[in-house]
Amino acid sequence: MAVGHGDSSSSDKKSTDALSDLQTFNAENLQSNMKVIYYSRTFLSIIGGVIAGILGFKGLIGFVFYFLVMAVTSAALTAKAKFSIHSYFDTWNRVLLDGFFGGLMSFVLFWTFAYDIVHIF
Amino acid sequence: MAEDLVLDTAIRDWVLIPLSIVMVLIGVLRYFVSKLMRSTQVPDGKIVKEGQVIVRARNLRAAANFIPPKSFRARRAYFSNEENGLLHVPKGQAQNPQAQMFSDPNMAMDMMKKNLSMIIPQTLTFAWVNFFFSGFVAAKIPFPLTQRFRSMLQNGIDLSTVDVSYVSSRSWYFLNLFGLRGLFSLILGEDNATDDAQRMMQMSGFGFDPTKNLGAEKDGLDIVQHEWALPKFEQRAEAVLRKLVS
Repeated sequence: MAVGHGDSSSSDKKSTDALSDLQTFNAENLQSNMKVIYYSRTFLSIIGGVIAGILGFKGLIGFVFYFLVMAVTSAALTAKAKFSIHSYFDTWNRVLLDGFFGGLMSFVLFWTFAYDIVHIF
Repeated sequence: MAEDLVLDTAIRDWVLIPLSIVMVLIGVLRYFVSKLMRSTQVPDGKIVKEGQVIVRARNLRAAANFIPPKSFRARRAYFSNEENGLLHVPKGQAQNPQAQMFSDPNMAMDMMKKNLSMIIPQTLTFAWVNFFFSGFVAAKIPFPLTQRFRSMLQNGIDLSTVDVSYVSSRSWYFLNLFGLRGLFSLILGEDNATDDAQRMMQMSGFGFDPTKNLGAEKDGLDIVQHEWALPKFEQRAEAVLRKLVS
């Protein structure tokens, strides 16, 4: 049974019991994977905010940039999970949408900060 | 208003950066203080026992289909038996732990301490910001907002022709308040008291945990339809091997 027996060096862990038809999930591993997603998104939204501010994005383009960063994050997470999402997470929505709005606030904060420091002052 | 106001560098040095630094430091301070204050809590034995019983019942429910029907029924009877089942709480006692939870001085004190440790730094910082940093334009937000936000974002500035994007320091404070949550979760690890939205959710689920949960678990167990999955495993193993060989 491949339930998180240290088989990967990354912090993603398999969370389904491979022998069963029923999708059972090891809750602890699932939560740990959720945390990985959350950290990645937060970190990238902060960095994305600083980049957007430095490059001087104004208005809608900044938000488009944020969506772009989030899409890249989702793609990277999917690639890291070797495209078999269901052995690491329970639904697609987790990988795509979780932590989206939490990151938005951090993005706006650092975007404003960097934009002001570079362009206004 | 299409031209960019040029703002004094001194504003940047003495308003934006110090405010952010202060908020980060206060968050870190609050985290450590809450950690120190929390260490004096002795978990109640009875409550821990109930929690573990609930965890066991939940595991049983989740993995019910892996054990033969008879064992499942035996385990289920152990939990939900009318006389001495672990999950069966007699009606008279059902209300007691809940009332005890709220009148228990320790719990009340803990909740109050947590609430206070959240509210006081926020209030103090807000008052400080209002006192020192009001009456001038502090920052420009890079995206345009409608006129309705003007009163909210520009409250120290009394010029009505200034673009809504130029905001006062109060709004910089609020922006920091929401935006630094993510930063705190990165630098402080998961267990931080600064994430107030999460804590609100925890707080609302806290008061009714022990008693209602037992009843809920019992009902959940009673509902489970047991279907033993193991007889099908031989066919499944055969299918897997066939795929490997062919």
